[in-house]
Amino acid sequence: MNSTYLRSILTLTIALAVPYAASAGQADDLSTSPTRPQVRAQESLGGCPGDSGAAAFHECALEKAETFEPPRTPDGRPDLQGYWNNRLAQAFSVEGVSGSEPLVNDDVMPWTISPPMVIDSSDGKIPYQPWAAAIGRLGVNYEQYIDPRTQCGPGGVPRLALQDVNQILQPWGDNTVVWLFEDHHVNRVITMDDGPALGENIKLWNGYSRGHWEGNTLVIEVDNLNGYTWLDDSGNFYTDAAHLVERLTLIDANTIHYEVTVEDPNVFTRPWKLAWALVKETQPGFELLEEACWEGERDLPRILEAGYKYYFGESWQGR
Amino acid sequence: MTSVVTIFLSRLSDGSSERKDAMRHRLARTLIAVAILLAASGPSEAQVSNLPRTPDGRPDLQGIWQALSPAAWDIQDHRAQLGVPPGQGVVDGNDIPYQPWALAKKQENLANRLAADPITKGYMPGVPRIMYMPFPFQLVQTADYVAMIFEYAHGIRTVHTNGTPHPRGPINWWLGDSRGHWDGDTLVVDVVHFTDQTWFDQTGNFHSDALHLVERYTLTGPDHINYEVTVEDPTVFTRPWKMRLPLYRRKESNVQLLDYEPAFLMQEEAAKQDREN
Repeated sequence: MNSTYLRSILTLTIALAVPYAASAGQADDLSTSPTRPQVRAQESLGGCPGDSGAAAFHECALEKAETFEPPRTPDGRPDLQGYWNNRLAQAFSVEGVSGSEPLVNDDVMPWTISPPMVIDSSDGKIPYQPWAAAIGRLGVNYEQYIDPRTQCGPGGVPRLALQDVNQILQPWGDNTVVWLFEDHHVNRVITMDDGPALGENIKLWNGYSRGHWEGNTLVIEVDNLNGYTWLDDSGNFYTDAAHLVERLTLIDANTIHYEVTVEDPNVFTRPWKLAWALVKETQPGFELLEEACWEGERDLPRILEAGYKYYFGESWQGR
Repeated sequence: MTSVVTIFLSRLSDGSSERKDAMRHRLARTLIAVAILLAASGPSEAQVSNLPRTPDGRPDLQGIWQALSPAAWDIQDHRAQLGVPPGQGVVDGNDIPYQPWALAKKQENLANRLAADPITKGYMPGVPRIMYMPFPFQLVQTADYVAMIFEYAHGIRTVHTNGTPHPRGPINWWLGDSRGHWDGDTLVVDVVHFTDQTWFDQTGNFHSDALHLVERYTLTGPDHINYEVTVEDPTVFTRPWKMRLPLYRRKESNVQLLDYEPAFLMQEEAAKQDREN
């Protein structure tokens, strides 16, 4: 079985099925909506290099964030509200895609050569423990399991912010920040208080998100993850013991520096970081569409027949 | 208020200089204008005097809410069955005005409900059903939106309250397209662009993709919303009809929205069974 070829076909058919399910009969509206490429090199992102990879952007953005005075909400918080597209990001692999990767030449769905989004290791690689390296990084997960997102599951954190356009709301009262994702109509409610933690037996697809402000930065601590989601198409992963810390900082009125620290002592040798840019969608009248994925899903029986298994953390559970 | 104005004017009129007269004239005009404004806003204030409000003066609907209603099983009056609590219906007059063909279709749905109910496939439940399923949802408000965020299937309804119109159809969305405005202290939401795939309850009450809803959300106290929905669908019904039920604020001090993903819970069960076989 040429698993790569098969997987490409399956991914493609599902990619095609999604907009059909989301908006049958909406061709007129879709034809006028902006294209949403996942990778678009730009000369400048908020005054930082937009064509030299995530690591260079990250270094520059940290400096810009020191001096930029952001627009503010009536509550006096930095105003992150709006529709956002990712830049310097792709969902093939957070470790980047090299020219020697065979998938770059895939007939059906070629991967795009891209620099890594891992910003704190010299080689752009995830600091996996040896057993885990064999599971992530086009290993066991990719070879044996259905990508949880391909089966229409919630994308998880931080992968949701790697996919399609999303929207941030800062509701009245400063008690919540709401992050809405077009990708499979997924939501995150970030509770802005220091109340009690959720019980450890409660596990959620996108985890439990608690936020606070550090200066002009929205810091989100994520726990109670179910570990059923992947970081990318390559099967890079964490378990239900993971703890994530996301940092969102405006570096100009239309650019957010997004950074996430991934910590999971079961899987990695140390905490590690990803970063990319979120750029405001400024087309007048732009709105999120409803993307119903599961409701239009028709390929799962064929994928299962081809030998792929449901994931649900099977590759790491019981270790 | 009128009496306050009168007393104030009589005090001013104690003086007799032209300057005081001029001042009195200006003040009187101002105070009368204020009195008229207060009188005009009187009735809505009289409805509920101490509603929590957002900084833009709207009733503050924010928080985690949940219906406690037998409508989740059957929106009409019904007796108990195994696993189904008995219930008084939420439909005005208990009558759903089906066209004859549609009544037959409802009966067919009822007979086939275990397989035919879209809920059993893990699909999004549609509106208004998602409002009274036994799962909490969170309301948040900004100057431009009221967003409804559901524990069930990570559902999202963004109610645009910024005066924008429905997008041009045809569009088939599981939770429709919601545009809202405030009628006094009531949030009125107009919802169109539905699929014909969702039901109102577990008994097969259904609609077509011509469904048009007008929902009214009225905060009647800090912890209660009166929810009313007018259902219009000329393809299926002979006239518009209405449902009404309260929504209750979840009062647990630690309450948070969790997640219930029906499709993936089904897949997880299937995966478990595969492993055992």
